[in-house]
Amino acid sequence: MTNTSHEVVKGPHHSGDAAPIALSAHSITKRFPGVLANDSVDFDVRAGEVHTLLGENGAGKSTLAAMLCGLYQPDSGYLLRNGQQISLSSPRAGLQHGIAMVHQHFRLVDRFTVAENVVLGSRNLSFTLNRKTIDEKVAAVAESYGLPIDPGAIVGDLSVGQRQRVEIVKALYQGAEILLLDEPTAVLVPAEVEKLFENVHAMTAAGKSIVFISHKLGEVVEISDRVTVLRGGKVTGHVSGRGSTDTKELARLMVGRDINLSTQRASHPTGHEVLQIRELSLQTEGVDILSNISFNVHEGEMVGIAGVAGNGQRELADTIAGLISPTAGTISIGGAMATDRGPIAARELGLAYVPEDRLGMGLVPSMSILDNLLLTRDRHIVVDRASVRPEATRLIDQFEIKANDADHVARKLSGGNAQKVLLARELSGGRAATKLLVVCSPTRGLDVGAIETVRRLLDDARSAGQAILLISEDLDEIMSLADRILVLYRGAIVHETSGEAAQLATVGAAMAGLSTEGAA
Amino acid sequence: MRAPFRIVFEQRSETPKYLSAFVPLVSVLAALLAGAIFLMATGYSVGETYSNMLQDGFLSSRGLTDTLGLSTVLICMGIGAAFAFQMNLYNIGGEGQGYLGMIGGAWAGLALGPHLPSVIMIPTVLLIGAAFGAVWIFVPAFVRARLGTSEIVTTLLLTYIAASLVNHFIYTPNSYFRAPDVTFPMGRTVPDSAKLTALGDTRMYPTFFIVVALALFLFWIVKRTEFGYRIQVIADSPRAAHYAGINARRTTMQVMLISGALAGLGGATLIVGEFGKLDPGITMLGYGYAGIVIAALARNNFAAIIVSGILFSGLRVGGDKLQITTSTPIHIGVMLQGAILLFALGGEAFRRYKIRTVRMQAVAQ
Ligand SMILES: Nc1ncnc2c1ncn2[C@@H]1O[C@H](COP(=O)(O)OP(=O)(O)O)[C@@H](O)[C@H]1O
Ligand SMILES: [Mg+2]
Repeated sequence: MTNTSHEVVKGPHHSGDAAPIALSAHSITKRFPGVLANDSVDFDVRAGEVHTLLGENGAGKSTLAAMLCGLYQPDSGYLLRNGQQISLSSPRAGLQHGIAMVHQHFRLVDRFTVAENVVLGSRNLSFTLNRKTIDEKVAAVAESYGLPIDPGAIVGDLSVGQRQRVEIVKALYQGAEILLLDEPTAVLVPAEVEKLFENVHAMTAAGKSIVFISHKLGEVVEISDRVTVLRGGKVTGHVSGRGSTDTKELARLMVGRDINLSTQRASHPTGHEVLQIRELSLQTEGVDILSNISFNVHEGEMVGIAGVAGNGQRELADTIAGLISPTAGTISIGGAMATDRGPIAARELGLAYVPEDRLGMGLVPSMSILDNLLLTRDRHIVVDRASVRPEATRLIDQFEIKANDADHVARKLSGGNAQKVLLARELSGGRAATKLLVVCSPTRGLDVGAIETVRRLLDDARSAGQAILLISEDLDEIMSLADRILVLYRGAIVHETSGEAAQLATVGAAMAGLSTEGAA
Repeated sequence: MRAPFRIVFEQRSETPKYLSAFVPLVSVLAALLAGAIFLMATGYSVGETYSNMLQDGFLSSRGLTDTLGLSTVLICMGIGAAFAFQMNLYNIGGEGQGYLGMIGGAWAGLALGPHLPSVIMIPTVLLIGAAFGAVWIFVPAFVRARLGTSEIVTTLLLTYIAASLVNHFIYTPNSYFRAPDVTFPMGRTVPDSAKLTALGDTRMYPTFFIVVALALFLFWIVKRTEFGYRIQVIADSPRAAHYAGINARRTTMQVMLISGALAGLGGATLIVGEFGKLDPGITMLGYGYAGIVIAALARNNFAAIIVSGILFSGLRVGGDKLQITTSTPIHIGVMLQGAILLFALGGEAFRRYKIRTVRMQAVAQ
């Protein structure tokens, strides 16, 4: 344990007439095999406030929330609801006490309508459903918190933001007084985040308590009345007072050291075109996935592809990597035609590809780091592991991968270390020296420390003259790293801007399909 | 009010090494215990039955060599099953592929006639048998690789067809495989040059050493070669294989054909060994099905299959002899095999989960 100080940072304090505490947790401890997920955590939330749980991935936020709503039971410690001790054996018991959670991963039935999803799981459901009354009731609940939603819509047809709204309406419909929102903004575009924050304010104004979970500092400062920071399962600090909080201080409490996430954009000149894409189109089963895409990436340049998930990013990356054959158009890497020649040919031309799905696509979970290094390389008929081992050991060192040795199994690496293994392999070249690096969501799910490292590695690769195509849903990341930004919406490039000139609002609007000015 | 304790299953973050050996061992012991309860309930002496089985299966020299002899085909069936299982291809038709191996081996032996020397005859019989096994799995392999059709159903169905084929070749008058001058339907014996001689006064054939060497060779293939590497990647994550440009269809095809060929080879060892002819009795013996259990018990580890194959063989040999030496029904041997499989599968839970009791927290108000 490195953090010995249990510091309490006091911001501008609430006045003495604070609302009563609605729910509190006292020295909650929860252990999972090999991890102490929560270590004597104290937490409370008042009526009508937003209390944020801030912490890196794996800090124990979801675990704490799961115990607050009855999904998990603490190993020790207890909960008080309005001062009375309660014991929650299930989420249903949590609901009976007015506590509901909106999970990171939604739990909705795609084929049901909004209203059906909302009433699903209510105990006092009559045997036959009267669609009309249900629709009206659901609409009424939604209206009262400014959550416009069509009760008759099929959930499968809704956007991610709308689905989240359904989850919230569902919680409210079931009578929730305390809502736990687990990383609600992770899946949203900026405009949707704003909308969500309006809903949150409407709910607190109505006296509801919100436990907001996040690892994004900016939004935490914006939305929270109070912040509790978790690190490694322990509370490392409390901060209160909306807007007046110092993000540097929060970052330090969260990570345990000072953090610098800003990188310099390429001030260096960019060279030849490494990747050339011409009129690329992809259709699957008659549906347009990519339509008529053309762009270039130069030596020493990082081009960012922004967009909401599901607008063709994954397919674009897979097509460039030779995993999917395009319906029309051409791809050339380093001046040589790569269209339709498969992944190995693309790699021989200097492609490296870090897919979004690290464990399961980029890495083989059950294999060692050493064997994973061999995945995209030329293997002899009898695999010569001994000759690769020194390089594996060197890469583990160079990329600061936390692993026992080269035989460490990929599955047992943390997300950040798995990503470093993947980057180490892809950046060090295999079948040919790396000229073009395609990276998808390279920092998704990583903690701040690892994000810092990964961004530095990408930056170094760019400085070394590699061409980088950065595909990410994290707009902040693209805005802070990319030299040029393209917005992908429904498979087409709808907006292009230089990194310096990029406006959050404009790019955000393009991602939501609102503006097509500057379309390519 | 709630109970002061709860029993919880906790997922293990990793399986301790010792459990991998411990679970199969305990499964065998638990199966013997279950068998003992059954024996007691039906009024047989547990001690006598088990000591007879042990004596007749492992401890007497006759028993041991019989066991090693029978283990030849069982190990071969085991590695055949495991070769597909390791890539999550569930070829459960080793039984039928084994019949085809016998048909192919017998055909090669009969067709090549009595004039060729053994050094040509024996390998040819074995290879043709293996080839017939591969042919028998070709369609399941092809539709699995191309269309993703479940190999479980197709390989199993083909086993029934293979059994009919065996019977057809023996019971049809004037069949090529049928002994001509006897009225009782039975197979025609292959020429002596196509048969190995048993080692000394035993029922053990040199094929035992071939099969053991083959198991060790496959162990090496999987751990050390590019082919084995590819199999591991596809088995663990097909998407990673696609990403790396590994051709999963071709590998699926190759792995299933090899699996079928190994089962066919198992059948052919019976031609060069104790049977010497196509014998419809094979359809009652279930060697191919036993191979599935042997592979499962060894968790598809080719070296461990040698051990589990011999263990199984001993149970069968010991069980079969019970009928002669005592009045215990021979099915105790079969029952024990089934019980071992059940316990071995149940034991998986212990490898993946830790079971512990949790004291419910009492809190002072
Ligand atoms: N069901 C579980 N089984 C085992 N370990 C878990 C489980 N849930 C969470 N953990 C572990 O507990 C720690 C805290 O996880 P979590 O609460 O999900 O963190 P956060 O939500 O802050 O990212 C992590 O190390 C995680 O791996
Ligand atoms: Mg979480």
